Amino acid sequence: MKKIVNSREFVLFLILVLVSGAISIKNPSFFSISTLFDIIRSSLVYCIMAFGVLMVLISGNVDISFVAIAAMTSYSTHMLLLKLGYTGDITLYFVIAIFIGLLAGLLMGFIITQFNLPIFYVSLGYMTLWYGFNLFFIGATMNFNMPKGMVGYYARFLVKVKDPVVGETGLHISVIYLLVITVFMWWMLKYTTFGRGLYAIGGNREVAIRTGYNVKRITYTMLALVGILAAIAGVTQSAYSRFFNPVLFIGKELNVIAAVIIGGASITGGRGTVLGSILGVILIQVLNRGLIFLGIPAEWQKLVVGLVLIIFISIPAIAEQRAKRSRYTAMLKEDRAD
Amino acid sequence: MTKRSTFTENKRLHRLLSKFHIESRILLLLGAFIVITAFFSITEERFFTARSISSMAFQCPEIGIMALGMAITMIIGGINLSVNDTANLSALMAGLFLVKLVPPTATSDYMSLFIIGIAILIALVTGLLCGVLNGFLVGYIGVSPILATLSTLILFRGISVVVTGGKTLTGFPEQLSVIGHQTVVGIPISFIILVALGVLIYVILKYTTFGFKARMLGTNPTAAKFSGINSKSITMKIYILSGILGAIAGIIVMSRINSVAYEYGTRTYILLTLLISVLGGISPGFGNVIGILLATFILQVMSTGFHMLLLGVRGSSFFKDFSWGTLLIVFLIIDYFLHHRGRTE
Repeated sequence: MKKIVNSREFVLFLILVLVSGAISIKNPSFFSISTLFDIIRSSLVYCIMAFGVLMVLISGNVDISFVAIAAMTSYSTHMLLLKLGYTGDITLYFVIAIFIGLLAGLLMGFIITQFNLPIFYVSLGYMTLWYGFNLFFIGATMNFNMPKGMVGYYARFLVKVKDPVVGETGLHISVIYLLVITVFMWWMLKYTTFGRGLYAIGGNREVAIRTGYNVKRITYTMLALVGILAAIAGVTQSAYSRFFNPVLFIGKELNVIAAVIIGGASITGGRGTVLGSILGVILIQVLNRGLIFLGIPAEWQKLVVGLVLIIFISIPAIAEQRAKRSRYTAMLKEDRAD
Repeated sequence: MTKRSTFTENKRLHRLLSKFHIESRILLLLGAFIVITAFFSITEERFFTARSISSMAFQCPEIGIMALGMAITMIIGGINLSVNDTANLSALMAGLFLVKLVPPTATSDYMSLFIIGIAILIALVTGLLCGVLNGFLVGYIGVSPILATLSTLILFRGISVVVTGGKTLTGFPEQLSVIGHQTVVGIPISFIILVALGVLIYVILKYTTFGFKARMLGTNPTAAKFSGINSKSITMKIYILSGILGAIAGIIVMSRINSVAYEYGTRTYILLTLLISVLGGISPGFGNVIGILLATFILQVMSTGFHMLLLGVRGSSFFKDFSWGTLLIVFLIIDYFLHHRGRTE
């Protein structure tokens, strides 16, 4: 019980409840089932990408290229299928986009493991590269031509509710993907050699190598998964918004990384959980939404996210410094006792 | 005793190698610069003209100064991803002062020079404060530099959006454009500022104890700590310097394009500063300002050259993004081979 209360997830959950409560008191229309569904719907794609970011952060790295991979996979898949005159539903989109995402991830894995390069530097180049690729080689304009089978996809709801303000809305069917992916990620991080290897590399790379973890293979798998998750998020988001955008998610990479860090992932300690990341994403969405409900201009969103992020990266760093200091003084005491 | 002598020998060897490596890097860059310039001069007749050379000299200072700000943090083993947003925020603060607080009646030359002086001071102080925040997070709290500066990037951009409401500021006094548009004996003032700052940083890094300590901190933070170097204050000073360099770049941008916006350069400038630093041979503890300047010129020549070659091709600016991204990865790979060879020899 004490463990649960002290956990990052519980604290986040409390903050989430408090923030939502405060917003609801100020503006009661925030407290409605349609707002809840709306927040879930807009958090969904970010949650899927957040899992990719989570893996990279656990392994002690930062990747920002996933947004460009999401844009490239979804947009190029769409343009390809449009050329072929495809009229079916979204399944083929997922299959092709996931395949391209897998290839993009493997290519990045090749560059990083073969030449022993830091993931962040490569991902910075990789992001600009794929957005440029999309815009120059595939197309520079948003495409609104949806195949017949996908036209109604955005309104396929599991549960429908009638809301006095926004009309009919509901819980979108893609929540099922999120649940499946979440369970899969949780299982993988907890019970597979790959997942444990990620934590081991993040905790101490040298020790992980000496323990016998295959760091190269883990890096490949991780980046391939990042590519796949980005592809799923890209297609889902485009299907929601009913157009395909060559610069989908541009500038949103920082929000996702912020959410995962707020969710408790730490670049230095090999820490981070699936649940924490989801809560982090939802917290940022609630904050952004809440600002609007409170009548604060939308321009304040970035500033608030930045401030929250700085607080959340500072807390574990301070704690770690304290722990180090106390370890050091303990060592000194032992020395004196000798 | 024998152990010690092999250690010093190794160190001397290593120093010789690393020195050779840096020298070879400068030669390599110089060679690349000449080859690329020659290539564009032959393929494009408009390239090697006084007009295009002067336009290149006007364009490169802002990115060069930002790259200096990036490079000095990389020398101590950090990174400053917020350098572009520091530049924008500083310029916005100065711009707000000029647009909102200065009455348009103040038209006399003397008066407006004074006001511009204050505006520049405001920009520099803003840059300094941005640097203090970065230095505090990285040096004193111990957040990893990538995360710390990524967070401050979001914060600075957020502040920039809030203070301007997301709008672009224009309509500054005419005298401000002197920095970005005038020349002294044919050389643009902004270019002179870039070279002067380069010399200043070169001297600081090479000939002062502060520079020596900073480089030591970069090569081995633990060793630096145990030799009594105050890594916190060094980190703080380096990030402050980086913030001020960002502010200077911001002033030059503001003066050159006569407007400031929170999103100026946010798409590629961080990538370019990193590209220049990697190309210029900066790695923790090592690196040379000459390399940074040469890398800046190379990128400027390539940018202008490709722009001329691709003129008329639809979406050529997107192609530029594509090639910058590819170039960064290619340079990282080349760098890997250079280092790798240096180590095995």
